[in-house]
Amino acid sequence: MKKRLLSWEGLLLAAFATIFAFNAISLPQFLTIPNQINMFQLSIEKVIVVLVMAFVIINAEIDLSVGSMMGLSACAFGWLFQQGVDPVVAIGLCLLIGVLGGAVNGLFVAWVGLPSLVVTLAALIGFRGLARVLVEDRGITDFPDWFDALGQQGLIGPMTFAMISFFTLLVVAWIILEKSAFGRHTYVIGSNRDVAEFAGINTKRHKLIIFVATGLVSAFAGLLYAARVGAVRGDVANGFELDIITIVLLGGASIFGGSGTLVSTGLAILIVLNLRNGMALHNVTGHIQTGVIGFLLIASVLVPRLDLLRRITKKSKGQE
Amino acid sequence: MTKPTLALRSVSKMFGMTAALTGMSLELFPGEVHAIVGENGAGKSTMIKIMTGIYQPTSGHVEIDGAEVSLHGSKAARLHGVAAIYQEPMVFPDLDVAENIFISASRGLWLDRKATRRQAAELMAHIGMKLDVDRVASGLTLAEQQAVEIARALSQNVRVLIMDEPTASLSAHEAAELRRVARRLADQGVAVLYISHRLEEVFELADRVSVIRDGEHISTNLIADTTPQQMIAEMVGREVGNYFTKMASTTTDEVLLSVRDLAVKGVFEGISFDLRRGEILAMAGLIGARRTDVGLALFGITPATEGEVRFKGRPLKPRSAQDAIRAGIAYVSEDRRKLGLAMELPVLWNMTLATLATFLRGPGLVDTGAERRMAEDFRKRLNIRTPDVDIAVGKLSGGNQQKVMLAKWLNMNPELLIIDEPTRGIDIGAKAEVHDLIRGFAARGGAVLIISSDLPEVLALGDRILVMREGRQMAIVNHDAADQQRIMALAMGQEKAA
Amino acid sequence: MKKGILTFSPQVLRILALVVVTALIVLFFASQIENYLNGRLFNRISSSVAVMALIATGQTLIILTRNIDLSVGSIVGFTAFATGSVIANNPDLSPVLLVGYAAILGGTFGVVNGLLVAYARIPSIIVTLATMALFRSALVEYSNAKSVTSQNLPAWLVDFPNQVVFSLGEFQFRAGFMAAILVVLTAHIALTRLRPARQFYAVGSNPEAATMAGIDSRRVILIAFILSGVMAGLAGFMFVARFGNITVVAGLGFELKSIAAAVVGGVSINGGSGTVIGALLGTVLVDLIDNSLVRWPVVSEFWREAVLGAMILIAVAADTIFIRRLAKMRAARAHEAAIAAEGAKT
Repeated sequence: MKKRLLSWEGLLLAAFATIFAFNAISLPQFLTIPNQINMFQLSIEKVIVVLVMAFVIINAEIDLSVGSMMGLSACAFGWLFQQGVDPVVAIGLCLLIGVLGGAVNGLFVAWVGLPSLVVTLAALIGFRGLARVLVEDRGITDFPDWFDALGQQGLIGPMTFAMISFFTLLVVAWIILEKSAFGRHTYVIGSNRDVAEFAGINTKRHKLIIFVATGLVSAFAGLLYAARVGAVRGDVANGFELDIITIVLLGGASIFGGSGTLVSTGLAILIVLNLRNGMALHNVTGHIQTGVIGFLLIASVLVPRLDLLRRITKKSKGQE
Repeated sequence: MTKPTLALRSVSKMFGMTAALTGMSLELFPGEVHAIVGENGAGKSTMIKIMTGIYQPTSGHVEIDGAEVSLHGSKAARLHGVAAIYQEPMVFPDLDVAENIFISASRGLWLDRKATRRQAAELMAHIGMKLDVDRVASGLTLAEQQAVEIARALSQNVRVLIMDEPTASLSAHEAAELRRVARRLADQGVAVLYISHRLEEVFELADRVSVIRDGEHISTNLIADTTPQQMIAEMVGREVGNYFTKMASTTTDEVLLSVRDLAVKGVFEGISFDLRRGEILAMAGLIGARRTDVGLALFGITPATEGEVRFKGRPLKPRSAQDAIRAGIAYVSEDRRKLGLAMELPVLWNMTLATLATFLRGPGLVDTGAERRMAEDFRKRLNIRTPDVDIAVGKLSGGNQQKVMLAKWLNMNPELLIIDEPTRGIDIGAKAEVHDLIRGFAARGGAVLIISSDLPEVLALGDRILVMREGRQMAIVNHDAADQQRIMALAMGQEKAA
Repeated sequence: MKKGILTFSPQVLRILALVVVTALIVLFFASQIENYLNGRLFNRISSSVAVMALIATGQTLIILTRNIDLSVGSIVGFTAFATGSVIANNPDLSPVLLVGYAAILGGTFGVVNGLLVAYARIPSIIVTLATMALFRSALVEYSNAKSVTSQNLPAWLVDFPNQVVFSLGEFQFRAGFMAAILVVLTAHIALTRLRPARQFYAVGSNPEAATMAGIDSRRVILIAFILSGVMAGLAGFMFVARFGNITVVAGLGFELKSIAAAVVGGVSINGGSGTVIGALLGTVLVDLIDNSLVRWPVVSEFWREAVLGAMILIAVAADTIFIRRLAKMRAARAHEAAIAAEGAKT
């Protein structure tokens, strides 16, 4: 397994280098600091959620509702702000919404025992619906300057609060996944839930915690989105789940759980960001960009499979 | 003279270096019920898989109506009229009985519901079952599901029907019904191969009986020419090698675990025994004896519904594996793949699955140094052959996987070790090593409960032997008073419970 | 009474439950909204059902085989646009050919999904999540930033969905709705009466047993995806006929609505169980709530999606718990029967 992951990482690294080199050669503005910052900024909310989605998928579950939760949290902030609630309190309430939403997902998955695919599909529709209930067809804007600044202005050099949050969360997530007992259990439960249960691990609680964390981080990312754009609408972060799940799977995590690392997930993030940035600078439209991401998603599952196929055919040939 | 419908001609099957079948020859004649008896692991299931086209013989061949055939895949076997039904029937839970019977029928594009229902009802009547053919299969009892499978086989003009321990999970009444069905089919000219652990039903039903042992054909007799005693002797009559000699017991006087009238409703009942420190208690029995369920109840996976357990003098009622582990009980599962090891994950991680909490430092972080030291220590002590402890445990041989599983539980320093099938599917050298580990654990003051279907192993390890049969405790036999015949007789119900 | 319930199949129970729930909802809103049950409500729901019922039928086939198709919305969008452009450029094209074109185009997309799921063995959730995006970008590329407008379309096409076939009082039965119902009924009859069609159920109900019974699961799954594509293609045709104006966002979100309709309609997400009639009723129920909430003054119409999400969750949870209970009750009954039989013997 280690070897395959290593080779997968190697493949990712090569892909990243190719895209990076292509962008650097074909686009004079690519290597400038404003563009590099911009590249991260434009997708920063997604890549923050990628960090928790990695836990969900390694745990052999899926969460389709993250985009809607981002939207719900952003819209809830807008609505609360409009009702005259203190923005700091509003932020706290939005994060609480994230926790509650995640808890609903987690309870239905872990305790009722429904497939996470259906539960979070319902949540995808439901959370989005709640967001629309709150803001209806309006746009809400004119947030306090300090709030917008969180998403827009450099806090350390050109790095915004959102970017700093990402890098901080990356380190925290890496430590939890690779170094802590919780991370170890994430792999074990994802690899074989019964084995985990027989080893005395509380798998229900573990899954609940992961879904709650996903809700919380998604809500946080939604707030960052509101701050960066300075406005919210009902369709904030619509369809973000595709990019987020794609990046995690591209990073080598198996949809069946039990494998994946944050290092290769980080590489996958770089690939997708550079690809999107390059395409955008080459004036490729958003829908086509999404199509390319979709293609990557299939390729990321198919390519390792092809490798396996080749080995199997070789083996059977060798026997004959 | 009639030709056999199906015959095996010196069929051998190798899996890598291990032989599952060696020179197996068997003839099934139309109209006979031919029973097969043998210990667990004697090669019965491999034989069925060769007859139904799932495995191909390594050497030898299969004959149908006297002509050599090669059966590639279950479909080919079906076309030759060979079908099998198993203890766990293969039905479609969402479809009704009639559809379950005719799902793979290929005549006509349109389903003629009326005709299908009528034919299904006819088939049911044919085998003498009363079953509403409109009922959905998910609501059927096991016996009814088996009837559906038999009817399905009949609808495809079955000529050889293999029944693999069909009555193991049935009540006495249902089992009698099923035997009646089997007899009826034979009377209509079908060759029935009937595999069973229940000697009394073999004598009630079969025309001829073959004993197989260690992948070899031992004998075939008319039922009138044999006795239960003779069959048991043939089933267990292998040479017992000296690697299975019993060592001196290390039993102390201190009772660690005391079980009284333990039961899980509908599964097993009336289990009572004391287990002392330093003692090894072996549970013997056949498939369907429910020994594993007793282990699972003690380990908290399926909590007991009745009875009392005292552990270290205090009452213990584990509701989950976590409870049992906290109390100091470890459970090594028989199913490495499903319940024992996370196969894709490293050896190291598997070893600390249950004990990770003892390798923490700081806020929930794993002390990988200490973890690795423990793993290396166990790797040496248990002689686990692996290039390093970071490779996926699934890549190791069965014996080494078994040792990793033992390491996983031994490193929690349990006081009671429950081991289900400690040496299943591992080679003889590894077997001896595992036995030494178990004895060593007991010698250091631990108590061991072993569940094993391997009689020589039971006799080599068990200071006392608890024999179970169909969810009931038959007897506890002291090692000195035990031999293979006696235990097998108890397990098969040929000797009354003591 | 309890024993009475046990003799019904879960499928029949689900349909009965659905009819009861639908009736209760109609009664509730009738008490809340003045002049609620009128022809306009019926017409609105029926013309929206005309498109969605087709998609839900295809989705049902997929879910029966334990898969899911998230790409149907994009297929509807693409075929709607392509069908519109073709007829706009060739106004004299025969309607039959046009419908055939839409179906074949949709089926082609289905082939892509089916091959990747059944033969490359990639989980359907991943395949269709990706093809949802891919097919949509194919549409963007194909449309070249133009849109189809109803002015470009021949009159017969635009008029077709609204032609009244017959009416009962103020309830008008329009051609589009009737055509969709016809397709659904055909699918229903095929699924229940056609021998090969039962393999969809077999594969989803117990894949292992299906293989043992000699069923080629891969081919069955491929066919399910092709048929789902064909259904989405037909829905694309209905879509262009109904709306006339097609942009690159046509059909966005239909995948979720179709899954919701199927699941609410009692199609088990674990495969093997469910009917297209159920999915049709699910479609109606979802649309009924949609349309009623708009007219209910108590809450804002924006509650529609939130309610839909909750409905899916409740439907699936209730179904799962109910089926588990049913299985337990049946097991208990069987146990009792066995004991009784044993007792009778001794």
